[in-house]
Amino acid sequence: MIAYRIRGHPVPVPEQAPPPQGGPEYEARLAEFEARIARGEKIEPTDWMPEEYRQQLIRMISQHAHSEIVGMLPEGKWIPHAPTLRRKLILIAKVQDEGGHGQLLYRAAETLGISREEMIEALLAGKAKYSVVFNYPTPTWADVAAIGLLIDGAAVVNQLMLAQGSYGPYARAMKRICYEESFHIKQGYDAFVALATGTPAQRQMMQEAVNRWWYPALMLFGPSDRDSVHTPMLLRWRIKTKTNDQLRQEFVDQYAPMVLRLGLTIPDPNLRYDPETGHWHFSEPDWEEFWRVIRGDGPCNAERMAARRRAHEEGRWVREALAAKAAQQTNGERNGRHAVAGL
Amino acid sequence: MADTQWPVYEVFLQEKRGDPHVHVGAVHAPDPEMALILAKEQFARRGRCASLWVVPAAAIYASQAEEAEELFASALEKEYREPRGFRVTERVRRWMERHGQSLPEAE
Amino acid sequence: MASPSLKPNEAVSLPDPLREAVGHLLLAMADDEVLLGHRDAEWVGHAPILEADIAMASIAQDEIGHAVLWYSMLQALGWPDPDRMAYFRDPPEFRNATLVELPRGDWAFTVVRQFLFDYAEKVRLEALIDSAYPPLAAAATKVRREETYHLMHSRAWVLRLGDATEESHRRMQAALEQAWPHALGLFEPAPGEDLRVAAGIQPPEAELRVRWKAEVRPILEAASLKIPEAEPAYGGRIGRHTEHLAALLADFQMVARSGMGETW
Repeated sequence: MIAYRIRGHPVPVPEQAPPPQGGPEYEARLAEFEARIARGEKIEPTDWMPEEYRQQLIRMISQHAHSEIVGMLPEGKWIPHAPTLRRKLILIAKVQDEGGHGQLLYRAAETLGISREEMIEALLAGKAKYSVVFNYPTPTWADVAAIGLLIDGAAVVNQLMLAQGSYGPYARAMKRICYEESFHIKQGYDAFVALATGTPAQRQMMQEAVNRWWYPALMLFGPSDRDSVHTPMLLRWRIKTKTNDQLRQEFVDQYAPMVLRLGLTIPDPNLRYDPETGHWHFSEPDWEEFWRVIRGDGPCNAERMAARRRAHEEGRWVREALAAKAAQQTNGERNGRHAVAGL
Repeated sequence: MADTQWPVYEVFLQEKRGDPHVHVGAVHAPDPEMALILAKEQFARRGRCASLWVVPAAAIYASQAEEAEELFASALEKEYREPRGFRVTERVRRWMERHGQSLPEAE
Repeated sequence: MASPSLKPNEAVSLPDPLREAVGHLLLAMADDEVLLGHRDAEWVGHAPILEADIAMASIAQDEIGHAVLWYSMLQALGWPDPDRMAYFRDPPEFRNATLVELPRGDWAFTVVRQFLFDYAEKVRLEALIDSAYPPLAAAATKVRREETYHLMHSRAWVLRLGDATEESHRRMQAALEQAWPHALGLFEPAPGEDLRVAAGIQPPEAELRVRWKAEVRPILEAASLKIPEAEPAYGGRIGRHTEHLAALLADFQMVARSGMGETW
């Protein structure tokens, strides 16, 4: 089955993985589980699910959550320097949303039987992965605009797909996230246009940021399908409903024109529109760089992990204090003035 | 490992007066008052909230998926308690025919 | 020193010495809020726990939003626009209390600073709701509503951290020792106070300070925190600042003053 074209070559949809083995009862449950998914129904936390499904989701959702949290740093760095009060407010709100999204995603992963403490410890110990894009530096204000347009744009393409996924808590979290992302896209595009249509100095700064962020945006969709070991299983169980390469193509089709129409360039000599297919031909990102960065060797991995570790450690006394205080409280000594929901 | 992330409180939000409270997610909080304070920003920072409830996750009893199908489905039809289970109109019509009644114009 | 009293429909056009005096008050309030919001926002991505990070980001947005409101009122009285005010003045021109320019410190310092500021804002806004200058009265009424959440938030943190553990108590007490003298500076009168008081724009700062102490004292005591005996750290309202303000503004104004462009 031909799905789409990259660089003029048709790319088939990857074969779906065969189900893993088990006894007859397992097979029966698995059949029921897969039938439910095939009917388009959601899997909820207390449903029976194959262990691989659970583990794939924990991996995927926690990586997604980590990405949001680490992603607060490259943009958060520019809050103190935002050049107008409005941009400052917008950026604080945007980064706040990213924290909020991380919160929702951690919670979705928690429903699968892993604690938030465990997930955070794994991230800070360097044992958990997160999206490569957040290991790149943001040397100028224009990088904030580039992220707002390209990275958030890529994220939305990805997230709209994830909101259709089979696991109830993840799909619900994604719907909430997609709703807020529409603000992110708007503000990103607004900041991008302000610079692209500004003074020559602003325009140049914007162009240089686009040059830095175009390929990271493509990397957001993960490895190429041919190298993505997880994709067949994720498709079979509708954790994803489109492949990485399909989404990458969607992104380029939507976002290349947005950059080009303002007369800026994209650092891809192979980028061109094919009127026959209605799609854009484009170069894949440097996969060696991708794997290097995902393994922790990106320009900012160390710095950002250190920042997160520091925040976590410096905040420990606070978390412990409030837990201790709550334990001290007895029913008669509550300080709170909240009303119990009297019904 | 020691869990310093605070216990979980499920959050229920009523968008406007007259609406039911709907489950929107959960927060980690040390106690109920903090749960409300933190839930307000996580779930209602863009407004559209008339009332917020927080409930310790541990206080929620939930039906289990395994039993759900049996628990919530009826094997035998209980049509008698559904509105569609009644066939009144036909009976009225037959009585009116037998007794030479006709419907007033307005009906 | 009598001044003509204002009638409700004398909205924006104030007689000159009073206009300037009202401007000094608005300037102090705006500068307080914009810098405090800036400091609060430094926690985004670094707070002790995710939910607190999200909440603090809202507090920061509220403060900056208030600043925009006060700067806009200043603009209506003839001052430059809000971005001009925030981005193109130098340290001696700022009229914030030194409390808000201090670095964010640890979570205890931020919590204590926010608590002291929120209650100062509460008593100030409650007084300004009765201001003889109608735009100020209307704005104060609006802003007071947002303060409800701030007060709930600040109070909750102080009551918990104040005596939860030995470490939290130690940090909170140290934070209070550091913040208190500067917090008193919130009630250093901005120039023109006599004119404002006579015209019914505001009650004297000294009175606001008394009300404020009455509000914060019981909460601090309930949190097992001891209010220090200290002289107020004045100077902010007449442009005398600590070295922290210059460093803060260098960050704050860096891009805007880069010369790269005028609109962003």
